[in-house]
Parts: sequence; structure tokens; C-alpha cells
Amino acid sequence: MSREPKLPRCQDVAPLLVFYTCDELSAEEREQIVAHLATCAECSAQLSEEDALQQAIESAPQTADKFDSSGVLLSHCRSELSEALDELAAPKEDEGWRFFAWARQWMALRPGWSAAALMLVGAIVGTQAFQWLPSNPLVNPGSPVNVLADTKIPEDKLDKVEISNVKISRSTGKVQVQLNAEQPMTLSSDEDPADTRRLLTFVVSNGDRFDADIRLNCVEALRAAAATDEQTRAALLAAARKDQNAAVRLKALDALRDMVAVAAVRDALLDTLQHDPNPGVRVEAVNLLVRSIEAADEAPETAGSDLPAPGMAPQALLPGGKGAEQRILRALDELRQHDSNRYVRLRSAAALRQIALQDVQ
Amino acid sequence: MPLFRWVFALADSTGRTGGSDAAFATVTSLPNLDERALVAEAQAGNRAAFEELVRRYDRDVLRLALNLMKRPEDARDVYQEAFLKVYKNLHRFRFECSFYTWLYRIVTNVCLDHLRRRQARPEDQAPEIHPNRMEEGPRDFFDHQKEHRPTLDPERSLLGKEIQARLARAMERLSPRERVVFEMKHYQGLKLRAIGDALGTTEETVKNSLFRATRKLRNELAGLR
Repeated sequence: MSREPKLPRCQDVAPLLVFYTCDELSAEEREQIVAHLATCAECSAQLSEEDALQQAIESAPQTADKFDSSGVLLSHCRSELSEALDELAAPKEDEGWRFFAWARQWMALRPGWSAAALMLVGAIVGTQAFQWLPSNPLVNPGSPVNVLADTKIPEDKLDKVEISNVKISRSTGKVQVQLNAEQPMTLSSDEDPADTRRLLTFVVSNGDRFDADIRLNCVEALRAAAATDEQTRAALLAAARKDQNAAVRLKALDALRDMVAVAAVRDALLDTLQHDPNPGVRVEAVNLLVRSIEAADEAPETAGSDLPAPGMAPQALLPGGKGAEQRILRALDELRQHDSNRYVRLRSAAALRQIALQDVQ
Repeated sequence: MPLFRWVFALADSTGRTGGSDAAFATVTSLPNLDERALVAEAQAGNRAAFEELVRRYDRDVLRLALNLMKRPEDARDVYQEAFLKVYKNLHRFRFECSFYTWLYRIVTNVCLDHLRRRQARPEDQAPEIHPNRMEEGPRDFFDHQKEHRPTLDPERSLLGKEIQARLARAMERLSPRERVVFEMKHYQGLKLRAIGDALGTTEETVKNSLFRATRKLRNELAGLR
């Protein structure tokens, strides 16, 4: 027995009429509705209303027709889109500069805050920046700093300097050097210590140009600095070896007497001992060398140290040890046998005996 | 390689377009390319191919935007925003659906965003301009453009204006989604399945939206029949 397909009821058909008019039903749904409409006048009338509504909607003028019937708006839109695409294709602003652009805009809008911020940044940089620079000598007090101070006598003027007098205060040690120039000038060790020392060492090193008295005073003025300043010591050594005046050489040796432990000073003494033409200078050299050996024997030897240790007497050490001592002994023995001056031979023999006696003790 | 093709390849090495094939296609056959080839060219960086894609579909896009937004300036915003989104995201298009569907998905989303924003902040929006009310106020540049539609006649025009006024009022009562569905069905001629694809929803949901929209409009237009 075959059964007829069950027809939908009106309440089932009514919601589908909308989609029936706009052709959005499946074939099966359409077939069922067509069959129902053939038997239902009420649903057919409702379908007519739906058709009328559909026609009214579709025949109504559309907003788009009114606003852009000529296509002008469309061409505007295309033009704007093209410009926007051009902007997208343009190279972008460097990311790194965006912050500055933002900062510039921010500062332009807030001048008061900007000024305060800039002052704060300046103060921080000014006070802290030197500490961030590890190589800055100003923050490392231990490191040497080359400072070109204003000098009253430029280097190229030293050759032309004429010195009229050198005064040394015995009580204070203050040195004054009076210069002959277009405008007379006085250098003081208190006010111009660097210039004064530079001038004195120049005079001692280049003795031929200056009077012996001046040179003697200059050597005496440099005595105090000989232990600490290498340039001063070099100038005194040069004077001890080369100055034409025996008194100056003798004075220079005397100024170096506390530094016999320094190898360069000892070599200068040996050189003087063997080659100085003045017997009095050679005798003084003998005395200083003997003194250095006596001092070295009294104090423990400190190998490898060229300069006396702090707090220790300079003559207490004899660098070079026994080798240096042997060189001095050989030089004294040479003098004892061959020196042209009898007093020098006698002083050398006495020195050798003195050293031998000290060794026995 | 033929000489003219070599010239385009050379020009492409310093130009904005993508590969040499893209440069070649730009001047030879872009309008004749099918949708898939055109999209591929645009994805390769061929600006001309993208502009050809825009020209193929932008008339419908603007029409949809105008009908939904009811304001030319809003429609222009929708147009630009939608196509810029397409341009920026074209490399993500994987041909899993038609380009037309993908484009409409973007356009409808932009329209829905604008409509929802308008609903949320009505005070920020200028009132919609209804064409039949424009005679009362100042007319802008577009109003002076000549009407080209040949089917208009005075009687139909009068009835149409009344229907349109009622429709406009009824449309204001629709939700953004109902509005989009109604527009796409009746004025864009899309099937419900395609509308669902464009909106990223099911056909059943679209059916419900269309049914609700039609019921509201039927009530509004009841006196005209």
C-alpha cells in the first residue's frame, strides 16, 4: 500500500514563503510548497503579498544610484586609494629617528617642561660624564698628567737667557734667579718652581755660556731636588763630568753624595776617579766611593733596587753588589799605583786599607 | 627571450612591480587574465595587477557601501579601508575560496564595524542623508550629476521615492547584520550561501537574519500595497 507524501501545514509554509519568492529553497521544499499552495487559498494570498513586497523592494531606487549615478564618487575613491597605496609603497621613516620626531613634537608642545628636562640632562651629564670615562686622567689622580702651563721662558729663548744673579736663602731654601732681558725678570722657586728648575738645569748642563759663580750657585740650588728629580740629577752628573771649572765639578759631586747607590752616579764617580784632571776632584770621588762601600757593608744588600727604599739612607745600598765593589776597588788600586798626584795615591791607599779593615771587622 | 619581453624584464629590475612576468603581464594582458592569475600577479607585488582587481570589483563594493552606510563620506571610508586591508593581507589569501568571496568578507566586516560604531555612538555621526529628503536641504556636488538610468518614469519615480523613504526608515530599525544580509540579497543578488561565506557564518543564520529583516520591512511598507 503506497502512502501519499505528507503535505506541510500552513504554519510550516508561511515562514518559507519569503525564501520561495527569492528562490532560496531546495527543490524538495519548493515542490512541497507548490503542492500546498494549490490547495490553500490563504497561503496563496500571503504569497501574493510577498511577491508584491519583493517587487516593491527591488523597484525602489537605491541609495547608490542616487549618490553615484555618474561614477564620480567611484573615481574619487579610486584616486584616494591610489594615493594611499603610493604612501604604503614609499620607504618608511627610519625607525631610529622616530623617537626624535616624537621628542621634538613633545617638546614643542611643552616648552616649560622641555627647558627643565634639558637643564636636568645637562646637569647630569656635566657631573657624571667624567666618571663614565675610565681613561680620563682627571679622575685618576695616580696617573701622570701632562700640563702645559704658561711659561715665562719659552724653550727657544733659553739659549739667549742671561743670568745676572742666583740667590739661595739658607733659612728657607728659596731660590731667586735674576735675568737680564729687555725687561729684567726675577724667577722665584716659590712662584715659578717649574721655570726656575728648568732654567737652573739648563745652566748646569750648558755651563760654558755662564759664569762659574752662577754655575756654582745653580748647582747648590739644585742640590735639594737631586734626590727626587731625574732631570736635575742628570744635569748634575753632566756638570760633574764635563764642567770646565773644578769647583763646579766638585760641587756637583758633593750634591750627588747621597745618591751613590744610583748606578749612574756611581759610574760618574768612577769616571771622575779615573779621568778628572783635578786632584782635588779625584780625592773627593775617592771619599764618596769609599763612603758608599762602607754604607753598603753596614746595611743588608737589596738586589734589584736602583733607588733607596723610602725611609732608608740612600748611601746604605750599593746596587751591583760585589761586582760594583770590585770595580771600585780596582779603580782605587789603579789610582794608588799610577795617579800622578801623590796625595791622590796616598788617599787611595788609605781608602783601600780602610775598606780592608772594615771587611776584617 | 624576445626583445620586448627583455625590455620589460629590464625595466622591472628597477621598477615597483614584482617579477618579470608581472611586468610583462602589466602591459600586455592584465585585463584578460582570469581572477586566479590576476591575484597571483598581485601577490607577487604587481601593483598594476592589484589595481586591475580593484577595478573589477570596486563598483559593487562602493554600491554595497553606499546602500548600507547611506552617506557618501562613510562609503568612501569603507571603500578605502576595505581595499587597503585587501592589499595588506593579499599574501594570506590561499585560494581556498573565490577572491570575490574573500573580498566581500572583508568589505562586509568593515561595513559591520562602521554600522556598529554608528549604533554605539550615534552622537558622533552625521544624520543619514535620504535621497528623497535631499530636496529639503542643501545639495552637494553629486546631486547635480545627471541621472542616467533610462527606465525611470514620473509615476514610478514617485512611488519609488515613497517606498524608498519607508525602506530607509525600516532599514534604520535593522541590526547591522540584518542590514548587510538584506542588502546583499536584494541589491547585490547574492545567494544566501555566498552571503554566509562572506559573513563567515552559516546559511541558516543568514536565513534567519533575512527573515527578520523582511518581517520588519513588511510591517513598514504595509500601507503601500
